[in-house]
Amino acid sequence: MSNMRRRNLIAAIILLLLCAGYAYLTANLPTRAIENTTQPSFFPWVVTVIMAVLSLGLLAQAFLPTISSDTPKTFDVPAKRLIYGLVLSVAYFVSLPTLGFVAGNIPFFAGLMYLYGERRPPWIAAGSILISLIVFFLFREVFQILLPSGILQGVLR
Amino acid sequence: MNPDIIDGFTQASQLETILAVAAGCFIGLVVGMIPGLTISTGIIIVLPLTFVLEPEISIALLLGLYVSGMTGGSFSAILLNIPGTPSASATAIDGNPMAKNGEAGRALGIAITASFLGGLFSFLCLYFIAPLLAEIALKFQSPDLFSLVFFGLTIICSFAAKSLVKGLLSAVIGLAIVTVGQDPMMGTARFTFDQVNLISGIHFLTALIGLFAVPQLVDNFADMMKSETATKNAANIKSVLPKLADLKLMRLPVAIGAPIGSFLGILPGAGGPIAAFISYDYTKKLSKNPKEFGNGSPQGIAAPESANNAVTGGALIPMMTLGIPGDPVTAILIGALLIHGLAPGPLLFVENGEFAYGLIFSFFWANIFNIVIALIGLRYLVKVLVIPRTFLMPTIAILCVIGSYALRNNFFDVYVMFGFGLLGLAMRWLDMPIVPLLLAMVLGRQLEEHLRVSLIASKNDVTVFFTHPFSLFFLCLAAASIFWSFWAEHKSKQKQDQLEI
Repeated sequence: MSNMRRRNLIAAIILLLLCAGYAYLTANLPTRAIENTTQPSFFPWVVTVIMAVLSLGLLAQAFLPTISSDTPKTFDVPAKRLIYGLVLSVAYFVSLPTLGFVAGNIPFFAGLMYLYGERRPPWIAAGSILISLIVFFLFREVFQILLPSGILQGVLR
Repeated sequence: MNPDIIDGFTQASQLETILAVAAGCFIGLVVGMIPGLTISTGIIIVLPLTFVLEPEISIALLLGLYVSGMTGGSFSAILLNIPGTPSASATAIDGNPMAKNGEAGRALGIAITASFLGGLFSFLCLYFIAPLLAEIALKFQSPDLFSLVFFGLTIICSFAAKSLVKGLLSAVIGLAIVTVGQDPMMGTARFTFDQVNLISGIHFLTALIGLFAVPQLVDNFADMMKSETATKNAANIKSVLPKLADLKLMRLPVAIGAPIGSFLGILPGAGGPIAAFISYDYTKKLSKNPKEFGNGSPQGIAAPESANNAVTGGALIPMMTLGIPGDPVTAILIGALLIHGLAPGPLLFVENGEFAYGLIFSFFWANIFNIVIALIGLRYLVKVLVIPRTFLMPTIAILCVIGSYALRNNFFDVYVMFGFGLLGLAMRWLDMPIVPLLLAMVLGRQLEEHLRVSLIASKNDVTVFFTHPFSLFFLCLAAASIFWSFWAEHKSKQKQDQLEI
């Protein structure tokens, strides 16, 4: 089986599972006792049916001999770098409410600079600290959008 | 004369609005020319900053960015042979050879002027067609509106996807996402899992930031900027103003590109890249020197540039009059209008005529400032091409996070944005287009509302969609669009099979 067909097969199975879950939730939506009106579950049922039909279509395409076997151009990124990027992002998002936007952005920015190929520590330090501070104050002072300061609340008044 | 026209012109010509347009044009030129940054991403980054502005000023800024982003894309296409935006891909074919021949300034001058002429033509289309179309659209009833939105979705899927099934699936996923939150008719909470944050649904903009920005940030892990080439070609820029002979040469490509761009802009989903390549192809066929194309022909630059800028005005026509976005950027503009409490559609001209005409005239000013800023500031603007990506991409990443948070001052939206980013990556892996999902999120609630209102009014009689003439017309168009897509897909597979044999 070609690479693209395998991907279509995986996608079709995931979509069919999602469709089943969506249908289950739709079936459990509350009903309203108003005459001559459509229920809140009406549109989700329409979506469920169309999604199921199209997912089956995709499943059929995975087995059809006429389907293009071309693998699409996805990302030429080394898997390692992609995984590091994802781990860094998850750590950033988890710690953001506690650290706040300045203390959270600095290590995230520095990590991204490293992943994008910057190897000079002074540049990484200067870039991450300066840009994080500039963006924070730009939003807070110029655009009047209050960003949480987190652990630096006492410092960034 | 309609007093709204005069009020709209006055509104668009106020100092604050003009300054916003100029700022938008400047940002647009910068964003457009940086490879790896699309106009959509640029607007997404700027959008949170516009929340505090008045609606007319906010939209004026975004329009400036939209118009100039198209032109900016040609700068890197000409200087680096890397199109800054997909719409500038055709410009690189002749633009870069001209730059290599030491005519970078001439090539850029032609691109800027052709963009201006294309944009101006599409302004005229917008000014004359939009009010007329809005007047017709006022006669639409719920079944007609449902069929129109449905047609809009099908045509977007067929244009945006190599595989119609995947395009439609992407749209259906978008429709499923918009069902999260309160049901539009009765206010019943659906799929909220007792989460307060989900009651008002998933915000379109958070989804948008994740879907567009995250895959682009990942893409940029791989691409490295060719800054050396940029510096070398930028040094060759001497005079940017096009000469009379060049202006004469531009007559044919602009005459072809501007109408093609405006027309394709009106069609949802067709967009700038298609318009640019079609007008390039037609100009080549009708040119006296077709052999010059591909080796640095000025006409080969003017044709795609006039077409892709003409798309902008064309795409604003269905957005303003029918509330249907022509491309991702106009979908974001709809989101921006909704944030400011303005619903695009036929009623925009009736209830907010001054604003509607103000938007049209802001578009006019955007084209004027685009050419002025581009011609005057070109030598300085191209220096942006040497900004290291190691600084640029992390800055975009934190701007996206802050933008998602600023929407409702809520960390939940930041997580939703990241979730949509992962969805965007998964869709890319599956070769599934993102645009239908995005547009389904914009149009989904309207689709459900019109469907249910029609059914309630007709006492659940589905033939209502076939007895209303407008509705029937749009359904026939939708069927034709789906049939054509399947046929085109089948033909392309047959061709591929023959080639493989």
